[in-house]
Amino acid sequence: MSMEPDIKLRSLSEAAALIKDGSRVHFGGMAVHNHPMAFVRELLRQGTKDLTVVSHVSANDVDMLIGAGRVRRLEFSYVGLEEFGTAPCFRRAVESGQLELSEYSEPVAFERFACSARGMPFFPTREMVGTDLPRVNPDIREVSDPFGSGTYHAVSAAEPEWVVIHAPMADKYGNVLFFPNRQLPEDLDLTASRTTRNLIITVEQIVPHERVRELPYLNLIPRFRPTAVVEVPFGAHPCSCLHVYDQDREHLGHYAKVGREQQSFDEYLETYVYGVKDHDAYLNRIGDAKLTRLRHVGGGLQ
Amino acid sequence: MTAPATTYEVMAATIARELRDRELWFLGMSTGPETILLLTRLPIVAMELAQRTHAPNSWMLVAGWIMNPVVGKAPNRMESEFGNALGEWPCEGYNNSLTMSYIAARHEIDVGFGSAAQVDKYGNCNTVAIGPYERPKVRLVGPINQPGHFSLFGREIVIMPHEKRNFVDRVDFISGAGYLDGPGGRESVGLQRGGPCMILTDKAVFRFDEQTRLAMLASIHPGITLDDVVANTGFTHDYIPPEVEVTAGPSAEEVELIRTVVDPDGVMLPR
Repeated sequence: MSMEPDIKLRSLSEAAALIKDGSRVHFGGMAVHNHPMAFVRELLRQGTKDLTVVSHVSANDVDMLIGAGRVRRLEFSYVGLEEFGTAPCFRRAVESGQLELSEYSEPVAFERFACSARGMPFFPTREMVGTDLPRVNPDIREVSDPFGSGTYHAVSAAEPEWVVIHAPMADKYGNVLFFPNRQLPEDLDLTASRTTRNLIITVEQIVPHERVRELPYLNLIPRFRPTAVVEVPFGAHPCSCLHVYDQDREHLGHYAKVGREQQSFDEYLETYVYGVKDHDAYLNRIGDAKLTRLRHVGGGLQ
Repeated sequence: MTAPATTYEVMAATIARELRDRELWFLGMSTGPETILLLTRLPIVAMELAQRTHAPNSWMLVAGWIMNPVVGKAPNRMESEFGNALGEWPCEGYNNSLTMSYIAARHEIDVGFGSAAQVDKYGNCNTVAIGPYERPKVRLVGPINQPGHFSLFGREIVIMPHEKRNFVDRVDFISGAGYLDGPGGRESVGLQRGGPCMILTDKAVFRFDEQTRLAMLASIHPGITLDDVVANTGFTHDYIPPEVEVTAGPSAEEVELIRTVVDPDGVMLPR
């Protein structure tokens, strides 16, 4: 290349500063996998607030932001910790009436992103018929089929202003490499990556551009999309980064417990977010021995 | 001599008998260790048992994406619906991406499995909130895929821990539409098919009366008394028929199959 493309590589704090108070944000990942946790912790440190989170299946990523009082509105299908039960801060906030909710069934929440990726404003569905969701969610409207098959629920496209995804590898120009045998959390991230150019990718590792040229079929988010790429090893911890490391079950179990009370949750934030100056300091707090154990044997970065 | 069937084996056999050949079965995510055992691990054993006894052409979508896994080679106890270990579970195929929801949207799934914090006398289920929606006493995880299980699938097997507070006259929030307000309820909102076919618990089986659509006690598991069931059931309608059967547990051959072939290392079901 005689003219070098833009370098998208940013620091974690530079990337997090792109998201302003009041933004409408989607955090990638699903269940306890692939959430951009290092980015979430940096947003917490920067004080970013008044967020609308548009999600599908969330866990501690969104739960932490809720517990710290940074989320005004949540569009979602699930906030939970799978084997560790209900997301504790989400539960506390909803029970005390502090969170505006707009909830959908899971495939509908997924499809809202596919709808945005297709450039369409809404889509029809019948899968929530018979439930109380349309009664409590004014965003579920009615529409009739102009071809005569009857009435449907109309649901709007996700339309996030910002999408933040954690992925395995990228080059400094913002080409993002995925592993070939993807699971649903990764495929949902790819769909979400096509909904906006305000796209921030955190990765386990920045690789040389030549690597992308060797593996072009794994370049599933090409460099015209991301605004910024950030290198954060173990950036999904305590969630998994599929193919690279497992979720930290001990940590998630601890989180589920301390999250139940605001005071112990605040202490958790002090220990793992506010009391550490950056992601490296966070990893030191977790410890090398633990991180080594979480590495996926036979997988990982080559 | 094979030791008598455990409660979980009785439940697995009950599910297996409900499953037919040439069907598509869908199993999704659950939350909390007790629910993962009842709603994920138990149906997985039941599905392979059915495939090995009478349903060789059926097809299972485990966690929605792992197709026809070798249950006995499960890498873990299904703590999560995804993960590195599950990606190495020997199976017949993967179904990732959004195509998973499109299969359901096309009404191709015959049977799903569901659970809830509350189930009511018409089989409506609630995974959203206990108490008023805006200010709930207990906020639960959310609807997840339950709406589609009850609106798009052929039928739903509801599996519940048998506790009084779980069995109510009317759920506080409908996230899975059973027979709604009773006869004609589903039809009145345009649901032409589907709905719950049974409620299976660790004590008994309920089925829905074709006329009244009410949940009726169909059988009680071996070793459980009617008093025990009544003491732990919150329904107030008359759900006890004149004759209550004992749940037909697995045959000795089926028990042997579960213990030596389907789940030889006891990864899925406690022994």
